[in-house]
Amino acid sequence: MSRLLKGKVLGIGLVMPSFLTLLVLVAYPVMMSVRTSLQNRAGEWSWDNYRYIFTEPLISQNIRHTMFVTIISCFFVLIIAYGIALYLRFSTRFFSKLINKLYLIPMFIPGVIAVYGFINFYRNNGWVARLIGTDNMLPIIYHVRGLIMINVWFNIPFTTMLLLSALQGIPNSIIEGARDVGATKWQLFIRFILPLSYKTMLVAITFLFMGIIGSFTAPFLIDRNAPQMLGVSMQQHFSVFNEIGQSSSLAVFMFLLSSAVGCFYIWSNMKHSKKELS
Amino acid sequence: MQQFRQVKKIGVVIGLILMGLILGACGEGEGANADGRTTISIYSTGSQNVEAYWETVIPMFEETQDEIEVNLVFIPSGTGGQSTMDRLIAAKQSNNDSGIDIYEGTLSDIIRSENEGGLFYQLDEEGIPNLSNIDESNLTGANNMAVPYRASSVVLAYNEDAVADVPDTAEELYQWIKDNPGRFAYNDPSTGGAGSSFVLTAVYNQLPDEAMNIQDESIMDDWAPGFALLRDLASSLYNDGIYPQKNQGTLDLLASSEVDMIPAWSDMALEQINTNMLPSSTKLKQINPAFTGGPSYLMIADNGVDERKQASEAFLDFVLTVEAQEVVIDQMYGYPGIRWDLLSEEDQERFSDVSDGYRIFNGGELSEELVKRWQREVAAQ
Repeated sequence: MSRLLKGKVLGIGLVMPSFLTLLVLVAYPVMMSVRTSLQNRAGEWSWDNYRYIFTEPLISQNIRHTMFVTIISCFFVLIIAYGIALYLRFSTRFFSKLINKLYLIPMFIPGVIAVYGFINFYRNNGWVARLIGTDNMLPIIYHVRGLIMINVWFNIPFTTMLLLSALQGIPNSIIEGARDVGATKWQLFIRFILPLSYKTMLVAITFLFMGIIGSFTAPFLIDRNAPQMLGVSMQQHFSVFNEIGQSSSLAVFMFLLSSAVGCFYIWSNMKHSKKELS
Repeated sequence: MQQFRQVKKIGVVIGLILMGLILGACGEGEGANADGRTTISIYSTGSQNVEAYWETVIPMFEETQDEIEVNLVFIPSGTGGQSTMDRLIAAKQSNNDSGIDIYEGTLSDIIRSENEGGLFYQLDEEGIPNLSNIDESNLTGANNMAVPYRASSVVLAYNEDAVADVPDTAEELYQWIKDNPGRFAYNDPSTGGAGSSFVLTAVYNQLPDEAMNIQDESIMDDWAPGFALLRDLASSLYNDGIYPQKNQGTLDLLASSEVDMIPAWSDMALEQINTNMLPSSTKLKQINPAFTGGPSYLMIADNGVDERKQASEAFLDFVLTVEAQEVVIDQMYGYPGIRWDLLSEEDQERFSDVSDGYRIFNGGELSEELVKRWQREVAAQ
């Protein structure tokens, strides 16, 4: 066996376990739900389920609500996490070192526990209300505000970690060089830091979007009863209404939304690597 | 970058462990009895108190003998308990062993089983001598196909200090809600029985008494006045119409005094009063016409294996002993399945507040339709 072939076999062999896992745990269930979504209750092929999710006003409200929450949450997470990452990268003060040690903590708190803590903290007669007075309390729990807040809280650590590693990859020499020729802070940011980190931002957006659009625990416990996030609506169709087909079609729709974002990410990556090659 | 790498490493390790678990689970066999012991599986569903009940009673049973091992499969409510019935039906149609020996369900499951040609064994006192402990009328109601081993109902739970004029009837309750805006809450009916009982009774209180037994979909046209009432009440509810998730959601609101009155399961409320999760000022009351409730039934699935049938019968027999029924009362705060006179007077006394009875809804799949319509017309109004 030639060396080249050996290398190829080794490569494929190394990829195989994760590929097979993906096939069994992701690809197969996806195919199954595509199939069930195309069958009506009698088991015949039909578009009924898709007609339902695109014509039923309840579902279109849910879809609009989901997109709203997802996009707004992504926006806030990105802004805040980028801010924290910039601060951590360029400040060497004691306070920044402290934050550097603390910001990952939310990642290690189980979701349900965090949500219950959040509810007890912000509910209409919770801790915050007791401090500032019940009358001054803005409704947060059972309101979309609360949902966006908890999404931001959940997602900041991971996003910050991603962005920070990108910013740390920018060599100090570039920044010092630019400063030496008289670049202002603003120019430094627009011309160097942003272009050198925006690819990681795309990665972060992809992760955020997929994570938030499919979330269940937080919207189930914090959001209003209607409109619902799609994850909650899907669970309701599946186990309360026993509408397996309709919940599958919702799942497929969500999958398509997520893959659209995934494709955008891959496309922008490929564009980049082509540039680097040529 | 260093941190990122570490996280990656942890991820790989977790992934490997998960894969191992999945592969391990695939190799597990059904009812292995190399040592001559019979293993039976009981499929149960409900809130956490039901799971805790089985976790107490099963070891009690296993201590009394050593031929039978009982395996509990618990499906929390709202997570697709109906699929157990679907599994039984699918197994029957394909002539396979469902792997389910004892199934905890409702009367409508028995009706469904009849339609499928009978999924369960007929029960008699020969196999289960303790059937004689049960009130005769409760058994015939289930066609001798199921053992009503416990019961509970939805009742009104309220804060005695805050509610001066406790409603006696449903009409008075609806009026109370309007007179005291923001002080009443019922949970999202798709997530727990207390809320769905409130919705159900609000709709069926506008109809003749016997409507609750109708399974024909034509009755859905008569639901309109009930839904109009629910829409009308919405603005007087907690937070202008917030329906907390799960039965526990409204109990939490009552405990933190955010509301003064809620519909709740008698067993859950009694348990939480006793463990001080609800303040001692919490009182329970059944109104007239009553909320819904009902017995929980145990059935023995027909898999064609005699050994497992006998083991299941022995287990059901144990569930109906005074010893096991006392767990229903003491730990679950449920109504016992056996006759009251077999129990101590002290226990009979404790239940005098809530044993005013309940109504049973026999509409079958109509209850799903009711929740669907509630979501569309009341939640999203």
